[in-house]
Amino acid sequence: MIKVVNLHKKFKNLHVLKGINLEVKKGEVLVIIGPSGGGKSTLLRCINRLEEPTEGEIYIDGIKITDPKIDINKIRQKVGMVFQLFNLFPHLTALENITLAPIKVKKIDPKIAKEKAYDLLRRVGLQDKANSYPSQLSGGQQQRIAIARALAMEPEVMLFDEPTSAIDPEMTKEVLDVIRELAHDGMTMIIATHEMGFAREVAHRIIFLDQGQIVEEGSPKEFFENPKEERTIEFLSKILSV
Amino acid sequence: MDFNINIFIESIPYLLRGALVTLRLSIISVGIGVVLGLFIGLARISKRYIFRIPATLYVEVIRGTPLLMQLLIIYYALPSFGINLGAITAAIVGLSINSAAYTGEIFRGGIQSIEKGQMEAARSLGMSYFQAMRYVILPQAFRRILPPLTNEFVSMLKESSLASTLAVTELLRAGREIVAWKANVFSPFLGVTLIYLLMTLPLTRLSIWMEKRLKTSD
Ligand SMILES: Nc1ncnc2c1ncn2[C@@H]1O[C@H](COP(=O)(O)OP(=O)(O)O)[C@@H](O)[C@H]1O
Ligand SMILES: [Mg+2]
Repeated sequence: MIKVVNLHKKFKNLHVLKGINLEVKKGEVLVIIGPSGGGKSTLLRCINRLEEPTEGEIYIDGIKITDPKIDINKIRQKVGMVFQLFNLFPHLTALENITLAPIKVKKIDPKIAKEKAYDLLRRVGLQDKANSYPSQLSGGQQQRIAIARALAMEPEVMLFDEPTSAIDPEMTKEVLDVIRELAHDGMTMIIATHEMGFAREVAHRIIFLDQGQIVEEGSPKEFFENPKEERTIEFLSKILSV
Repeated sequence: MDFNINIFIESIPYLLRGALVTLRLSIISVGIGVVLGLFIGLARISKRYIFRIPATLYVEVIRGTPLLMQLLIIYYALPSFGINLGAITAAIVGLSINSAAYTGEIFRGGIQSIEKGQMEAARSLGMSYFQAMRYVILPQAFRRILPPLTNEFVSMLKESSLASTLAVTELLRAGREIVAWKANVFSPFLGVTLIYLLMTLPLTRLSIWMEKRLKTSD
């Protein structure tokens, strides 16, 4: 489904990703953990080319998306993205946030797009917030709308960049529940997160990304119970002790 | 002081006719300026040199030279290239070209003030750059630039008085004509002053009000 081959990303002199190789199968949930600044966001953003990779290849469904001739807008329709800071469109209602891209990009009939948006709102438990503006919603609610907005394009893969980092602790559960549900439904996902309990529960595989390299990779059980690399052990002991 | 209440009252209808010309010049010029300015603003932030460099040059030249000179060039120099514009048309062309540079900068600032995440979210949904601009960035930017656009219109109301040098009888020139006919300075100019203020003050207040409202809603 997704294949990343020898991916490098440099910002001027800063070498942020140093040869990432990874593969995600259809229906698989890959969780990326690692210290802040380790390159999690940059990796996710390269996968839908919000950042241009400096070197290396990325394939989605066998299509080489790092090919400069590719129609990136088409590819991005298949790759949903959820941001740390939600990035909802503040001038549009929750419903309009969800229907905008289906109507304008996929040219779906507005009535049908709206019906689908209501289904999605039900799915994230916010059917009564259809006409609210983002500023009227809590962080947890905004993030659930952002997930619904991404799902409205019927993506084949979902990328989550620390989806609960900017949300009050008492509201992270409502967001994680939605992602859990997606995992249950077989959605292919790559999730960067600091929620270790959630990672362990939802991940099929975990990678530990530090200083732009995949330091360790394994099943949740292996990873948490029997980490092999020094840096992983150190990171886990720090994060699990707080 | 040569103030004369009768001359003052008599001059009002003529001055109002001049004010209408001022309004017309300003509305048309800022209107054209906004449309051109949108494209100039977009070109200014474009990644492509072929858009960015000419737009930057345009803005710098227009903002770095006197409006009066620009008007004189359009009115007096263009005929030698076989382009003959009437006084009003020349004034509108000159003022529009000038306004476009300023509104271009207003648009640029407004667009750049929108958080980067908005463009990224729109693009991540598969929107093209222009769809993202049209449906996500510009609607938000437009609300933010309404106050400076209103200010631009206010300065156009005043700056359009330079059209009087092209023999366009707008408000200021109407006043000067009365001064010449009646050999009286203060009476007509008091009228001119009052009419300018009548047009500019409410708009300045409106701009301040919009600015405040934006601050509380952000
Ligand atoms: N647009 C950018 N320009 C320059 N440096 C950047 C940019 N984006 C990220 N970086 C740098 O790249 C490194 C990795 O950042 P990031 O991918 O955000 O890490 P993480 O998401 O794991 O915290 C950091 O040192 C960060 O400062
Ligand atoms: Mg990050």
